[in-house]
Amino acid sequence: MATKAAEISNLVPALAAERPVTWPKRTRAQLSNGLQVVLAEAHSIPKFHGELFFRAGNALVVDRAPSLAEMTATVVRTGTAKRASRQIEEDLRRLGADLGTSAGQDTSAVSFAGLSEYAEPLLQLVNELAREASFPEGEFERERRQKLEEVKLERTSPGFLAGERLRKALFGAHPYAQISPGEAQVAAYKREDLQSVYSQIYTPENALLMMVGDFDPQAMLNTIEKLFGAWTGKKPAAKESAALPQLHARRVFLVHNPGSVQTQILAGCHAITRKHPDWIRLGLTNSLYGGAFNSRLVMNIREDKGYTYSPRSSVNPLKQHGYFSVSAAVRNEVVAASLTEIFYEIDKLRSLPVPETELADAQNYLTGVFSMGLATQEGLLSQFSTVELNELPADYLETYREKVRALTPEDLMATARKYFDSANMPIVVVGDREQIQEQAALFGDTEVFDTQGQRLDK
Amino acid sequence: MNRLQVPIHSSTLKNGLRVVIAPDTTAPVVTVGIYYKIGFRLEPQGRSGFAHLFEHMMFQGSENAPKMQHIKLINSSGGVLNGSTMYDVTNYYEAVPSNALERVLWLEADRMRALKVDDENLRNQRDVVKEEVRVNVMNQPYGGFPWLDMPPVAFRNWANAHNFYGDFADLDAATLVDVQKFFRTYYVPNNAVLLLLGDIKPEEGAALAEKYFAEIPKGATPPFADPAEPPQKEERRGDVEEKFGTLPAMAIGYVMPQRRTTEWYAMALLDQALHGGRAGRIHRELVLEKQVAVEADGGIDDIFGYNGPTQMTTRILHKPEYSSEATLAEFDAVIREVQETGISEDELQQLKVKWRSDYYSTLEGGRGGYMPRYGLMHLLACFTLFDNEPQLVNTILDGFLAVTRGQVQEVAKKYLRPENRAIVFRMPVKSEVKEAA
Repeated sequence: MATKAAEISNLVPALAAERPVTWPKRTRAQLSNGLQVVLAEAHSIPKFHGELFFRAGNALVVDRAPSLAEMTATVVRTGTAKRASRQIEEDLRRLGADLGTSAGQDTSAVSFAGLSEYAEPLLQLVNELAREASFPEGEFERERRQKLEEVKLERTSPGFLAGERLRKALFGAHPYAQISPGEAQVAAYKREDLQSVYSQIYTPENALLMMVGDFDPQAMLNTIEKLFGAWTGKKPAAKESAALPQLHARRVFLVHNPGSVQTQILAGCHAITRKHPDWIRLGLTNSLYGGAFNSRLVMNIREDKGYTYSPRSSVNPLKQHGYFSVSAAVRNEVVAASLTEIFYEIDKLRSLPVPETELADAQNYLTGVFSMGLATQEGLLSQFSTVELNELPADYLETYREKVRALTPEDLMATARKYFDSANMPIVVVGDREQIQEQAALFGDTEVFDTQGQRLDK
Repeated sequence: MNRLQVPIHSSTLKNGLRVVIAPDTTAPVVTVGIYYKIGFRLEPQGRSGFAHLFEHMMFQGSENAPKMQHIKLINSSGGVLNGSTMYDVTNYYEAVPSNALERVLWLEADRMRALKVDDENLRNQRDVVKEEVRVNVMNQPYGGFPWLDMPPVAFRNWANAHNFYGDFADLDAATLVDVQKFFRTYYVPNNAVLLLLGDIKPEEGAALAEKYFAEIPKGATPPFADPAEPPQKEERRGDVEEKFGTLPAMAIGYVMPQRRTTEWYAMALLDQALHGGRAGRIHRELVLEKQVAVEADGGIDDIFGYNGPTQMTTRILHKPEYSSEATLAEFDAVIREVQETGISEDELQQLKVKWRSDYYSTLEGGRGGYMPRYGLMHLLACFTLFDNEPQLVNTILDGFLAVTRGQVQEVAKKYLRPENRAIVFRMPVKSEVKEAA
């Protein structure tokens, strides 16, 4: 811990003058059908990365079944009006391309990467998947059976079990509480449900096409206009979601996983969306707490005490809400000791101003790492899509570093007080109840579940 | 065809440290790596897991940068860092804004010159490593499968066959004396390469390498045990219990041809034909067509990064209603098909385009998105330490693009034989798996 560390040697070379960070120019356009397009050049390799986003995902259709948009995305890639599944996969290989279809709570997406020389045929395939997916009966049936095995399997992963339980505690009746379907729900998936989700979500008015790479933006825009111009479809209607549950006191959720030789800890609380004006200061506070190797939590429970290999905290933005979480996989004997330190470090940030030098270190870390994304096409795509999907100001990337640098110790303490609600956090522990229940119960009223999500203590 | 060419400047300091510089001013970020030519394969007998534990110790303090300072100085310069232990090399790397370059070189030179750690540091990192093993292996469904399960079944030489993460008794037995001895033996400049990539001028990089590293004394040439395997004459099989998972699993590994031979290039394309994602024959047949398996993937792990016996490995999680033998029979049918009929010219062309495209991504790519140019660094390091030829980064693609259909079929026949393979079955202890089908 900081108190034990020696002073920095005066032999350490000083930092040289900072070189300017320049984000590539973005070319933006909107086709007459509503499709938004954002393009940027990056010539690091003769390839490009792209993603066709749709601004709706599992949350919009959760009343029909959990993860229905994700299942839709899975089956989208298995057939179009023109190509069968095997043809799609071989064509991708022929173009040297990678492609993925996926959905989260708030978006569905077709992501792709390929050689610049074959950009047009790859975009043609993306276009077909977005407009002419055929949902072949046999492919749907296979993917549904695959999914059945996957949902059984994920209940054996401590990380999944912890995440599922925390999301239920934080989000209650809100769609974000549902991160995965049960077996019966998968068994009840119907091909027609997927087709209806597809026609609702996969429309140009709901879409954003982003590409970064080795191409000429004007020529690429012409290609996009030619391929996607005649596509039509309206934005899906937005839906009201349930309010979040109020959190009172610390409560313990123990997921009994017999035979565990370690305990997965995950605690958290409500926070904010990426669009919220406090986002940047919350990011810095998190980085200093447990978001970096050099953070207080890592130095305490890993480098000082050796309780765990990979402690970390994160701020998780979703479209309507966000949440803060802290996790560590610790040996069974030190569950209580680890939780004590986890809360100690939170409460310290809420009680005492951060020393100026520590603040400067954290500011340098966050601003430096922010620029790493400049070096790869994928990194640029990720930063640009964050700005677009969250409707952040156009100069967000350009002004981020100065906003981080303007923050003060008082800002951080106020942020910790406002968002790190340590007194009212749900605490999830996944492990063997015989070994850990007594320790966990020191932190609050305890509910025990089995790995299938059934209460064991009632 | 638009071929990517990487500018490379290489030299050797008087103490034997090789220096490789690859400038690229795309972003004001520089990636620094040091690779030592020692991995877990040749760690000392009776000290399984030691190379990896030692890697942790390299972050615990050096002569002028006590515990915490190394990590703190990199992070507070706006950079990220890590290290990893592999079969034949161990790496330490940082990506930082380019204004922090000198600081990083000073830190790396300080710990190459003198490691300064105590018993408390060793106890602390032994605990951390045990939690790493628990979180990645002992407390995870299919943890360590097949990378830790396969070696003891497939190989006979201890170097290739032991537990690379380490038996806990061996980790407990490790002492500070072991740490310093390992450091003096293998962590010498003449057993390492320094890599500087990104926003740096070649002459500036060369001068800084000289300034910070040239005075570190050269060490004795390290002794390396012979990792060669006795010839394999029979199919090998082993069983491992799966404590958490719900699906029966198996892994099939075939021993690879010698690195950088014609057969090796052909094997790489055969690997792509078999394991190349959803178009790969194994996934296509077992998951998509026959629907025996839930997952079927694998391949040659880190094809450029090893320097001893290794395998091409397929990992299969199959449906409980199929027996192990029934699943294996479907796998064998895929192998037989490629041995008997080879691959078409069209398929070969697809494989080559995909190989080239993947290769470019490897060179650019980060590691988990946070390490720009990790792939380029890794290849330059391995081509320097194993082949003494960093320029291979720009030419090795030719070998893959020259492979013929005949060569692919030949290596399929020669290498994908039962007496060249090992199979590990990982069966769930909890499930109602049927053994006969």
